[in-house]
Amino acid sequence: MAQCVQSVQELIPDSFVPCVAALCSDEAERLTRLNHLSFAELLKPFSRLTSEVHMRDPNNQLHIIKNLKIAVSNIITQPPQHGAIRKLLNDVVSGCQPAEGLVANVITAGDYDLNISATTPWFESYRETFLQSMPASDHEFLNHYLACMLVASSGEAEPMEQFSKLSQEQHRIQHNNDYSYPKWFIPNTLKYYVLLHDMSAGDEQRAESIYEEMKQKYGTQGCYLLKINSRTSNRASDEQIPDPWSQYLQKNSVQNQLISRKGLSRSLFSATKKWFSGSKVPEKSINELKNTSGLLYPPEAPELQIRKMADLCFLVQHYDLAYSCYHTAKKDFLNDQAMLYAAGALEMAAVSAFLQPGAPRPYPAHYMDTAIQTYRDVCKNMVLAERCVLLSAEILKSQSKYSEAAALLIRLTSEDSDLRSALLLEQAAHCFINMKSPMVRKYAFHMILAGHRFSKAGQKKHALRCYCQAMQVYKGKGWSLAEDHINFTIGRQSYTLRQLDNAVSAFRHILINESKQSAAQQGAFLREYLYVYKNVSQLSPDGPFPQLPLPYINSSATRVFFGHDRRPADGEKQAATHVSLDQEYDSESSQQWRELEEQVVAVVNKGVIPSSFHPTQYCLNSYSDNSRFPLAVVEEPITVEVAFRNPLKVPLLLTDLSLLWKFQPKDINGKDNEEVRELVTGEPEMIGTEVISEFLINNEESKVARLKLFPHHIGELHILGVVYNLGTIQGSLTMDGIGALPGCHTGKYSLSMSVRGRQDLEIQGPRLNNTKEEKTSITYGPDRRLDPIITEEMPLLEVFFIHFPTELLCGEIRKAYVEFANVSKCPLTGLKVVSKRPEFFTFGGNTAVLTPLSPSASENCSAYKTVVTDSTSVCTALTSSASSVDFGIGIGSQPEVIPVPLPDTVLLPGASVQLPMWLRGPDEEGVHEINFLFYYESVKKQPKIRHRILRHTAVICTSRSLNVKATVCRSNSLEDEEGKGDNMLVFVDVENTNTSEAGVKEFHIVQVSSSSKHWKLQKSVNLSENKDAKLASREKGKFCFKVIRCNEREGATQSSEKYTFADIIFGNEQIISSASPCADFFYRSLSSELKKPQTQLSMHTEKHSVEDAVSLIQKCNKVDLNIVILWKAYVVEDSKQLILEGQHHVILHTIGKEAFSYPQKQEQPEMEPLKFFRPENTTATSRPSLEQLSNLIKTSLHYPETFNHPFHQKSLCLVPVTLLLSNCSKADVDVIVDLRHKTTSPEALEIHGSFTWLGQTQYKLQLKGQEILSLQLKACFVHTGVYNLGTPRVFAKLSDQVTVFETSQQNSMPALIIINNV
Amino acid sequence: MAQIAVIAKENYPLYIRSTPMENELKFHYMVHTSLDVVDEKISAMGKALVDQRELYLGLLYPTEDYKVYGYVTNSKVKFVMVVDSSNTALRDNEIRSMFRKLHNSYTDVMCNPFYNPGDRIQSRAFDNMVTSMMIQVC
Repeated sequence: MAQCVQSVQELIPDSFVPCVAALCSDEAERLTRLNHLSFAELLKPFSRLTSEVHMRDPNNQLHIIKNLKIAVSNIITQPPQHGAIRKLLNDVVSGCQPAEGLVANVITAGDYDLNISATTPWFESYRETFLQSMPASDHEFLNHYLACMLVASSGEAEPMEQFSKLSQEQHRIQHNNDYSYPKWFIPNTLKYYVLLHDMSAGDEQRAESIYEEMKQKYGTQGCYLLKINSRTSNRASDEQIPDPWSQYLQKNSVQNQLISRKGLSRSLFSATKKWFSGSKVPEKSINELKNTSGLLYPPEAPELQIRKMADLCFLVQHYDLAYSCYHTAKKDFLNDQAMLYAAGALEMAAVSAFLQPGAPRPYPAHYMDTAIQTYRDVCKNMVLAERCVLLSAEILKSQSKYSEAAALLIRLTSEDSDLRSALLLEQAAHCFINMKSPMVRKYAFHMILAGHRFSKAGQKKHALRCYCQAMQVYKGKGWSLAEDHINFTIGRQSYTLRQLDNAVSAFRHILINESKQSAAQQGAFLREYLYVYKNVSQLSPDGPFPQLPLPYINSSATRVFFGHDRRPADGEKQAATHVSLDQEYDSESSQQWRELEEQVVAVVNKGVIPSSFHPTQYCLNSYSDNSRFPLAVVEEPITVEVAFRNPLKVPLLLTDLSLLWKFQPKDINGKDNEEVRELVTGEPEMIGTEVISEFLINNEESKVARLKLFPHHIGELHILGVVYNLGTIQGSLTMDGIGALPGCHTGKYSLSMSVRGRQDLEIQGPRLNNTKEEKTSITYGPDRRLDPIITEEMPLLEVFFIHFPTELLCGEIRKAYVEFANVSKCPLTGLKVVSKRPEFFTFGGNTAVLTPLSPSASENCSAYKTVVTDSTSVCTALTSSASSVDFGIGIGSQPEVIPVPLPDTVLLPGASVQLPMWLRGPDEEGVHEINFLFYYESVKKQPKIRHRILRHTAVICTSRSLNVKATVCRSNSLEDEEGKGDNMLVFVDVENTNTSEAGVKEFHIVQVSSSSKHWKLQKSVNLSENKDAKLASREKGKFCFKVIRCNEREGATQSSEKYTFADIIFGNEQIISSASPCADFFYRSLSSELKKPQTQLSMHTEKHSVEDAVSLIQKCNKVDLNIVILWKAYVVEDSKQLILEGQHHVILHTIGKEAFSYPQKQEQPEMEPLKFFRPENTTATSRPSLEQLSNLIKTSLHYPETFNHPFHQKSLCLVPVTLLLSNCSKADVDVIVDLRHKTTSPEALEIHGSFTWLGQTQYKLQLKGQEILSLQLKACFVHTGVYNLGTPRVFAKLSDQVTVFETSQQNSMPALIIINNV
Repeated sequence: MAQIAVIAKENYPLYIRSTPMENELKFHYMVHTSLDVVDEKISAMGKALVDQRELYLGLLYPTEDYKVYGYVTNSKVKFVMVVDSSNTALRDNEIRSMFRKLHNSYTDVMCNPFYNPGDRIQSRAFDNMVTSMMIQVC
């Protein structure tokens, strides 16, 4: 129970005071009415004695009565009506609300901090009124009239007459059987005569004389002259006079209303009373009592006399005596089974026991319990039971027995009175919170119950207050179902009380929480919210947009895109893919793009990336670097993608959805305009705003909206949030469970029910973690993706691809066209393209002669530049030469960055240029994604944006075509036809690996070209007679070519980058391999290779001489020969024959080693075993391998293949043999030639040793770099037969290397000689 | 059986399951209110006794239609069970063993390394166990 203003010791005596009736003459009534008061009201402020009163009890003991109070009331001859009391109580409660600025107590219980108002004045008012309006009943005498005041006015004609009339009237009322009400304490009621005199109107002397007359007649003790209006009105009116009546007036006016109304219906009521025998009046309970207990004492019964005595004692505060009397009476009543009487006696016995001074006995709570139970269950008198509970609870509270008090209070809640139940539940709740260990949750629960009952009783404000109090306990503790319910109720109640802001926030709370409610419930919540919200916004239509709670916005998922939407493919024109919001973020690819951009910027800035460089970001998301203000270009749209999520189970409809922004324009000089224009949609000349008219988000759906802004002026833009009408779609759900709000249950409003509001986009930047402070605290960096700076115009490039294939054979060459269009109003220049796969495409060489120019007439022509030749020169090579620099591949340049050969290097606004572009299918089979990054600049230098980029990703699917495998080996013949040094043989194996037999019919090898700085193809050595070089599916062909060293003189005069191309043609057309596109692709495929040996070389030169030697030795094994195989494929597609062309490259480095056109798949080692020890220092690869050393010297034997010798003439046959030693390296080499047969086993000797070398058996020689030396040997045979002459063993070592042993040189081929006998 | 609830040490629900869904709100209120009684019962026990105390708290309070039983683990996680008072088959011993079963299953949930203590319980195994318990009792 809440704290009370009065203590229980004051409360109870004040609740049971002697009652005095007042009977006024009409004239006296009129007189008091002049002051707008009744006589009883007039006396009210003076009804408490401030002095002590003395009294002698039956034992003649002096007894002191303190603070005696009497209750004077005008005689009412009708018992109070049940309904009227109910109404009165209701009004009293609703009229008493907590004060606005009331400071609530803070109670801390566990982890709850609750604001609770300690007092409940409405409850006290209720209790007071309730106790006062108790109807008098026959089983007790506490509120029976103890005396009667007879009041007459001095202004009456016959005052004394009037007094006797009044006296008769009183007697009649008390003793006539017509009046069962009011009740009187004793038969001869004490009378008190009051003469009322108005000082301002009447004659005072007359009044005095009448008073004297009265005293003579009725005795001095029983008379009083009451003078009213004694103050003269001419006193200063501004003097403040205390008004003792004001505190009673409000309440009394209510009472008067009731009384006067009752007066009107009196006659009607008495008529109906006879029929229904007063169905609601307390008599009924007595009637029932007769039936139930069967006992009704007559008024003169001795048991009642004791009770009367007890009551009298109680009224005069003689509680000891009262207790003993009640106790006696209780026993008698119980003996007689007079339950109502017994209950009354028990109740008052308990109260007097409690009030006894000095507390000789404990408070008998069980008396009260019995009394309550009897009143309620036996007598069915809830009013008495309630009085009993109120008293007992208050007493228990004073003894800190909160738990018992709560139990009592809760027990009395019932269906018959919502108001009572509400108040008692609320008090019970207060009991729980006031316990020694506060029961917070019980408090909250009972508050909710109280709120519910208040609401049913029509006490909206109290209901709302209760729910709000309970909310403190449920808020944010995870009990969402209960929380939602309370919020919803608060919203409702607030709405009906027109507390719209509270209603909105309560409803908002339901909606933003992750709700576990059903869809129907949520729909109801939403509609109520919208309805209430609409009411709020109608109150202030010009106010700022309020924040809407729905739908959720995932701010960090907001993406911003700068630029136009990509035009879709237009016919055969295919636009560059660039960047769009449809692409998912991929960190790998964004890293690739970033690297590409860095590469091109480095090239533009002569190899250095400027410190101010930041990669261009067209699409900002949560992964991009948003720490800087992004730059947007004027007249180019900004698209913001907002990620909405509907948490509800009902769809949401957003209408007129647009972005909300703030713009700070700047003039051309970049100075701020003094005025900062804020907002919004109203300024289309600065920033155009796109509006999405309808945007539906289904239940529990996540959906993105793309909203555009069109900046028309430079300045700083800040995108603040979104603004929209929030609504729901009609008729999806019907309300159930919860009725519609008053005035809106037509169900139609959902159609137009939408409210306008905003939601802000606030994006938290990444958490900072660099400095120590940042690491120890939690700080977040800025995120500026929504604050773009609008800069001046920049050129804008569009790139279209025409005839761009999606499928190619590996190595296939295809010609396509690229269109570059400048769609801006600024000229652009410096156009470059960068790609990680430069070998995939070319724009042709940068010399116009080498580039075929035929953009339009391209349909069935070859992609290559060709020359018709006569077929006579088939087997010999046609040579030409070209420098790699011409094709953009040179030492030190970045092959990935390719300048686009624009005709004038500038693309004017609106202009477009078509350029040919050759593509070569990548050598690997499969799907290839190839990224192109186009770089361009404005002609006018911009301080903020240096360059712009355009991205394109091409997807090419390649299928297998040819596999080319080539080996080079030294030719046995020492000289070529022209008698010049080195020559070699190249074996080329070509296999058709294409598997789609339906598509590709056959491949024709049309040409094989070589490209090298030092070597060239000389002629074809036809192995097979297959001259047309056709390869059907799965067929394999072999070619053999002779390679010779280029003219050294040519090589010397030309730059080192000059390559000699030699073409060997199998058809009648020569493809000029040194021209675009053949040479382009050759160089591009070479470019990656070009780099590697350079780095290797430079590394080697830094090392000491051993390494030198090694490289020398290695070099003699090296060859830089590149083979280009050009082919045509005959393809049938849609019953049309197509000829596809292509080329494969084989790069030969090492003699004798196979080289492939396609990258060899390397078997991935399964899993390297973990090493737990440090690997020992591996000795540097300074020592050349044995194999390398064995290739220093090339040997060949020259001799006649058959030799006829007449053995019968001469038994010894001598054959001259020339051993040619040629030094492959460029250093001096010491050579040892040993002719002695290796003696491995005697048998072997038997077989081979049938010939011997004559003469010197060992030679020690030194060969200079690339020197060829011939040794004349003689072989001696004794029999005819076939002999292998290849027995000389050659050892070699570098001359200046002491440490290295001579190494046995690779044996040349078996050299067979036939010796015939003639 | 009406409801089974698991309440965290901090008195927010970890798991609530009630069988007649239409009265869910009422059950929530009931369980929430019963926590006061649980707190009272725990604090009533002496500090020394806490360690060897009985985890089962017995009947927390009866309402007109239901009985509310409580159980507290050593880590102050509360199990509250609301049963129909008309169900006379459920005596103290049955309730006690049901709580044990619930406790075991809860321990299994806690042992899951992917379960974050304090999160709502979404374990299917736990759910099935509760379902079977409710079926068994009804």
